[in-house]
Amino acid sequence: MLAEHKIKNFLDVISNSSKEELIWMNGYLNGIVSTQNVKEEIPKKSGVNKITITYGTETGNSKKLATTFAAKAKKQGIHAKVQNLEQYKVNDLAKEEYFLAIISTHGDGEPPAAAKKFYDHVHRNGFKLDKLKYSVLALGDTSYPLFCKAGEDVDEQLNKLGGNRITPLQKCDLDFEEAAEEWFSNISRSLNGDTSIAAVSSQIISKKSSGKKNYIGKILTHVNLNDWGSAKETYHIEIAGEDLNYQPGDSIGIIPENDKKVVEQIIALTGIDSEFNIDYKDELISVYDLLHKKLNIIYLPERVVKHYAAIVQKEVPLKRIDLLMLLKSYPVTDAAQFLEVVKILEPITPRLYSIASSPQAHSGEAHITVAKNWFTDNDEIKYGLASDFLSQLNENGELKFYVHPNNQFRLPEEDKNIIMIGPGTGIAPFRSFIAERDATAATGKSWLFFGDQHFASDFLYQTEIQNWFETGVLTKVNTAFSRDQPEKIYVQHKMLEHGAEFFEWLNAGSYVYVCGAKEPMSVDVEQTLLQIIEQFGDRSKAEAEQYLDVMKEDGRYVKDVY
Amino acid sequence: MDNQNKQTLQVPPPAGGDRGLLSPIEKIKTESNGLRGTIRENLHDEITGAIREDDQALIKFHGMYQQDDRDRREERAEKKLDRLYSFMIRLRLPGGFLTSDQWIAMHEIAGDNSTGVIKITTRQTVQLHGILKTKIKPTIKAFNAAKLDSIATCGDINRNVLCSAHPKQSTIHSEIFAYADKISTLLMPKTRAWYEIWLDEEKVLDKKEEEDPLYQERYLPRKFKIAIAIPPNNDVDVFANDIGLIAIIENDKLQGFNIAIGGGLSTTHGNDETYARLATVIGFTNSEEKTLKAIYEILTVQRDYGNRSDRKLARLKYTVDRLGVDWFKEEVEKRAGFKLEEAKPYTFTSRSDYYGWEQNHEGLWYYTVFVENGRVLDDEKVALKSALLHVAKTGKVNFRFTANQNVIISDVDEKDKDAIDEILNQYKIFEHTDYASPIRKNAMACVAFPTCPLALAEAQRYMPSLLTKIELLLARHQLSDEEIIIRMTGCPNGCARSYIAEIGFVGTGLGKYNLHLGGDHEGKRLNKIFKKSLCEEEILSELDGLFGDFKKEKNDNEKFGDYSLRKHFSTI
Repeated sequence: MLAEHKIKNFLDVISNSSKEELIWMNGYLNGIVSTQNVKEEIPKKSGVNKITITYGTETGNSKKLATTFAAKAKKQGIHAKVQNLEQYKVNDLAKEEYFLAIISTHGDGEPPAAAKKFYDHVHRNGFKLDKLKYSVLALGDTSYPLFCKAGEDVDEQLNKLGGNRITPLQKCDLDFEEAAEEWFSNISRSLNGDTSIAAVSSQIISKKSSGKKNYIGKILTHVNLNDWGSAKETYHIEIAGEDLNYQPGDSIGIIPENDKKVVEQIIALTGIDSEFNIDYKDELISVYDLLHKKLNIIYLPERVVKHYAAIVQKEVPLKRIDLLMLLKSYPVTDAAQFLEVVKILEPITPRLYSIASSPQAHSGEAHITVAKNWFTDNDEIKYGLASDFLSQLNENGELKFYVHPNNQFRLPEEDKNIIMIGPGTGIAPFRSFIAERDATAATGKSWLFFGDQHFASDFLYQTEIQNWFETGVLTKVNTAFSRDQPEKIYVQHKMLEHGAEFFEWLNAGSYVYVCGAKEPMSVDVEQTLLQIIEQFGDRSKAEAEQYLDVMKEDGRYVKDVY
Repeated sequence: MDNQNKQTLQVPPPAGGDRGLLSPIEKIKTESNGLRGTIRENLHDEITGAIREDDQALIKFHGMYQQDDRDRREERAEKKLDRLYSFMIRLRLPGGFLTSDQWIAMHEIAGDNSTGVIKITTRQTVQLHGILKTKIKPTIKAFNAAKLDSIATCGDINRNVLCSAHPKQSTIHSEIFAYADKISTLLMPKTRAWYEIWLDEEKVLDKKEEEDPLYQERYLPRKFKIAIAIPPNNDVDVFANDIGLIAIIENDKLQGFNIAIGGGLSTTHGNDETYARLATVIGFTNSEEKTLKAIYEILTVQRDYGNRSDRKLARLKYTVDRLGVDWFKEEVEKRAGFKLEEAKPYTFTSRSDYYGWEQNHEGLWYYTVFVENGRVLDDEKVALKSALLHVAKTGKVNFRFTANQNVIISDVDEKDKDAIDEILNQYKIFEHTDYASPIRKNAMACVAFPTCPLALAEAQRYMPSLLTKIELLLARHQLSDEEIIIRMTGCPNGCARSYIAEIGFVGTGLGKYNLHLGGDHEGKRLNKIFKKSLCEEEILSELDGLFGDFKKEKNDNEKFGDYSLRKHFSTI
């Protein structure tokens, strides 16, 4: 009820008073209250009048929450400053009093790229944040073993550095809305003096996920887009799903299945009965199915290898390795010991694929563009688990998936101009964008940059792109095929080649989207963007960077890279 | 000729043709700004491997055709890939001559930018297939570096000029051979477009530099072919050309040329107005100046009077028949300013190549290599391409192409012959050439599937296997030594000159061919349709019967073509 400094004075006065003095004060105050009823009518004024809400986002969800909460705070008379962790000056942390962080987790417990600097900063020791009062809202996906890890880490580190929790860490699954609301209303109450929420170190996990809708889709089309002679295999997969609901820019999550041959080898090696049922997440499931469809058995993380070593009681080097290799090199004693191993295995994590279709143009269908990944391991060619799984699907077969929203990667209003840079499978969300713009007769101009190795065999969605260009849905298309000539030509070279016009588009308020490989593509593209702004916008290096920062803040430069 | 119209018209119909309306190609030509069109812009179009339709007509004049792999259309469509467009580039090689350095250059260009196959054409030149749009400029630049060009090898213009290939043909072969180049140069277009577009030569500012009194802005109504034959060998099929020159030699001296006009073999299925026609000899010229002048004016008359509304009726043969041979000759004489002399007698006895080693009058050696369907490549049977590269690398030879799609390793000094022999032996070229059957060595097929857009049926991909079966039939009837001339075209346009074969196959649909019989061995007589749209089984069964009868009924030294005419068409 009372602001901190008041309550401190009040408690000081009380503790230093005799019983008689207290009785007198009581009577005095009663008199005041009875004659000055009006005071009670004054709107409750918070004791806190300034908070900072920061967000670290990959898909835009954290940002959306941060701005929603800031608006609510303002209504309560609290000035809330919203800041992207990417731009946050880490040295300001020591000056903060009320600090909220909304941060998502990606991959194997990693923070969003934009929050990496902040994340690393709080992991450094040697400074104190005694004045800091904070709370962390962690967004994540329970399908991943390291659920909400980045948020957890930040919460723990801020505490270690001397910060005090306003409310406990709140972890949210994909259906985060309700839990996030709850988190913020607890904070509001707390800031307004309600101390019923104990600022304890325990954390709250949102209720069991219910909103993440799983679809069982039917494969309608499954075709390798690359022609003969290509070094690549890129599959266009069309999936029909009942009551499918998504927006252009979203991804779908797919849990790949392990190779049956590997599962059979594991079973043979350990002597376990493949039909033996195990209680897994409240359902009975056979060892075979568990190993085939649920548990990750390849490229085990170090933490799992560590557990394995403890079970078999052997010295095992702590590096990532396939379960089969572990079992061969450091065998389990018997089937019973293998059951222990099964318990420490983590679930197969979902893989996200940008949706390449548009709800308007391809109603009831989600299309994806999957490049079959391969790499060499001790001179042996191996394929990525998910892409290999997806490349072997058959038409009319089934595929389980869910929609993973990406609020950051959205088409702007229909009359805005867009520039899309999407080489390789980076074309996927842009096929969605363009099809959507086509179906809705959007009036904004659209410019596509596409690239791959060879024009003749690797021009993904060529005939569709030609049609969109002919009908004017695409205003401009530039392509870069890196291996059709002695020198390598990439999308960024094409951007620069059209630098003057590119800058004109930028300056007229165009939205720039980049999708595809994080490295080196998106880095090179960003460098080229800066170069174009500098060279054709007649700006200094610093000014160009500033220009791009403003674009980022305005949501006019967004990336979906991997 | 049945179709010849002997009547001399007083007032010829307008040049636009009797229907008045110009064909769309005519507009494209005249508005092309010297054959430039928008080719350059098309090359920069990054989303298609094709060029715009109008420009497809123009690039022919630059020596290339746009094609696509017809076998791959369906599967590529499923893959959301456009048709696999590529370009065929054909060189201008008057008389079909390459130095060894040029052969090496072409070998490398073929490997870098095309399918790798060096295709010797029926017009004594070579063409490369499968060149992607982005590779055209590098290809042409590389050709140019080897002093080779592709100007005017396709399109409505005079194309590669043929000349009897083998130097042993005459002691004055080189003198006659030089005419091929002289005629080609005389009839070159004046536009610098080829140099500008493909070699980035600076733009011509003064349009007067490009004024073209011969072609003007219209070019010719249709393609135009010229060949020079040195009797008694008609290896160039001289009568299949718009202009055929027959060298008249007396006492080892060139007297001049008989000039024949109006040959051409292409027809259209179902269009009775079209027909194959052999050239008509109209006279003789006795000097280089007069010969070149007469040729030039034949082109101007065709330019002015050829049919420009219906391209199927636009070749010189139709102009000659429509206006009459006499009228045409008079008009040429009027323009040339002199009368043609009366044609001299001549005799053709053959049109086969001289396979194996031959020597000319100066003692230089020539080895004619059998090249099936003109396709120089390394395959499981013979490493022809490697062998010829090896030969070229000696630097001791030249290469000459024949109109029968073979290559002659040429101008070899006596002292170098052993070295060449060794290479040919090493690559088993002797066996390859010697063991090929007489019919195979005399056979010819056009390109057809998968790249030719006109193809209705297979030709060069199918012909070798059909010949194997025909060889068995001939062996059964003890006719294996018969040099029957068999030719196959995948459509009625006659690129492989099947209308002047003893056995001609003209494709009508996939796996179906009209069987033509009755042409002569020397190429002086057209054949006729014997049976329509036969499948392979029917073809073989027909031939089995025909060969059986031929064996029983033929006269001494009677050729299969002459026998067939006597036996099957005698009432016509």
